Amino acid sequence: MDPIIRVESLHKSFRDLHVLRGVSIEVNRSEVVSFIGRSGSGKSTLLRCINRLEEPTSGEIWIDGVNIHEPYIDINKVRAEIGMVFQSFNLFPHMTAIDNIMLAPVCVRKISRQEAKERGLSLLEKVGLAEKANEYPEKLSGGQRQRVAIARALAMQPRIMFFDEPTSALDPEMVGEVLDVMAQMASEGMTMLIVSHEMGFIREAADRVLFLDEGKILEEGTPDDIFNRPQFPVTRDFLGKVL
Amino acid sequence: MLKDYTESNTFKKLRDTSGRVPLIRQPVFLIASCVALVLYGSMLFWASGEGLVIRIALSVFVALLVTWTGIIITDERRGERLKTSIVFLVLAVLVLLFLEFHVTNSEEIIELFFNITVIKKAWPYLVLGFKTTISLAFMAALVSTVIGLTLAIFRSFDNKVLNFFIIAYVDFFRAIPIIVLLMLIYYGLPFLNIRLSAFASGVLGLGLNSGAYVSEIFRAGFLSVSKGQLEASRALGMTPWQTMQKVALPQAFKAVIPPLVGNYVASAKDTALCSSISIIELLKAGTAQQSLNANPSPLIFVTVLYLILFVPLTRLCGYIEKRMKKTQRQITV
Repeated sequence: MDPIIRVESLHKSFRDLHVLRGVSIEVNRSEVVSFIGRSGSGKSTLLRCINRLEEPTSGEIWIDGVNIHEPYIDINKVRAEIGMVFQSFNLFPHMTAIDNIMLAPVCVRKISRQEAKERGLSLLEKVGLAEKANEYPEKLSGGQRQRVAIARALAMQPRIMFFDEPTSALDPEMVGEVLDVMAQMASEGMTMLIVSHEMGFIREAADRVLFLDEGKILEEGTPDDIFNRPQFPVTRDFLGKVL
Repeated sequence: MLKDYTESNTFKKLRDTSGRVPLIRQPVFLIASCVALVLYGSMLFWASGEGLVIRIALSVFVALLVTWTGIIITDERRGERLKTSIVFLVLAVLVLLFLEFHVTNSEEIIELFFNITVIKKAWPYLVLGFKTTISLAFMAALVSTVIGLTLAIFRSFDNKVLNFFIIAYVDFFRAIPIIVLLMLIYYGLPFLNIRLSAFASGVLGLGLNSGAYVSEIFRAGFLSVSKGQLEASRALGMTPWQTMQKVALPQAFKAVIPPLVGNYVASAKDTALCSSISIIELLKAGTAQQSLNANPSPLIFVTVLYLILFVPLTRLCGYIEKRMKKTQRQITV
């Protein structure tokens, strides 16, 4: 089967800091891949390089068979196919929940406001926030904000979803509601790349776990392999601390 | 619990009134107020041409008035509104006494500075000037907003060459005196075969100057929009221009309204400088009428018009700033 994402020997440096040191991965359609590792190991940078929020220093990235660094590629078209959920939500504070969701489908997909609204409301219903459509983000709890952010990403009907530590900024009691939504998406066959520290969730939902250490993929395998039979002392050490 | 609370409150009240020495009874205050009273009394005494008894009675009256006011305004049980009105009342009485006993030539003053006949004669011209001032200020605000916003948007592209020119513009037009700028435009440009009317020159000069400030204000507004907002927008596939239009600008606008209005008011006051290029705005109208009538009353009236125009505007600034602080959404959503 054709991988939907293929990354080859990706390097990324911020001035003197060499964050990614040759990462190569392949992700298949409908696969849920989770990245774990210590902070600073390059997990977030990897995600951000794949949709070019960061420009890689070197390396090649193919999404759906297209090399996204070719000069004729419109990166906005590529990004439209990749939903991204941030640690800090990044909802637009000057818009209501429904306007947050409708903005990109109307501006980028050029669908009518009516259609965007219908799509947005059904997505809000899906994440359990139908009654919050006309609230501003400031009126929502952290968990609700993140669910709106997920709905906003889904409204573009992306083929891939990136989650960059989606629950790290949440109070513990709100983590569950966000993970539930993500689990539902995974079960519906969405291709998902997840950077997270929620080991319980990863064990349940992920098809494959990649352990990053110092900008390289040190170990990869099924959650069962990684969590129960880690090969490297670094992995064992990390898992011992977070589990 | 409730009883405890009320009891302690009563206790606090008692201690406030009896436990602490009020300001009025502190020795320093007493001595200072005595000296002040003696000075004021002697002023009344020497200045007036009235009889001795009246002078002594007046001095005693003022002394009692001031002491009584002091006692009331240091009493913590009295309301703030009462205290304020009493202070103003007493000040009014003192001013009246001063006018009555010190100013013997009040008719001359009125004749010179508040001459109704002169003002009536000057009125139509002053109104014309007032209108010119307002339209100058409004047009200059418009021009400066267009210039400032354009520069700030180009600045946000972070292109080194563009930045060089924008910074040069801002530095130059903030540094150059507005009068010189107006002169250059009105008297200098015709040599380049660009002829602008006095009014257009005024608008252009003020707009160029104020635009430099406005661009800095908008730049600060754009910087206040967090990087995460821009990333979220770009990650959704929005173009840089859509991001600017739908995400950055609306948020930046909200942040810049208070300093922006403040800047408009400041540049509206600069319209007075346009009198140097033969625009008959409010100040020019005032000085012209002053020399025509050989009487400064029109200028006093012009001052009043400036106050009428600018006091509400500056109050509006303060109000907007206060309201923005209250409703500002300080969250990192």
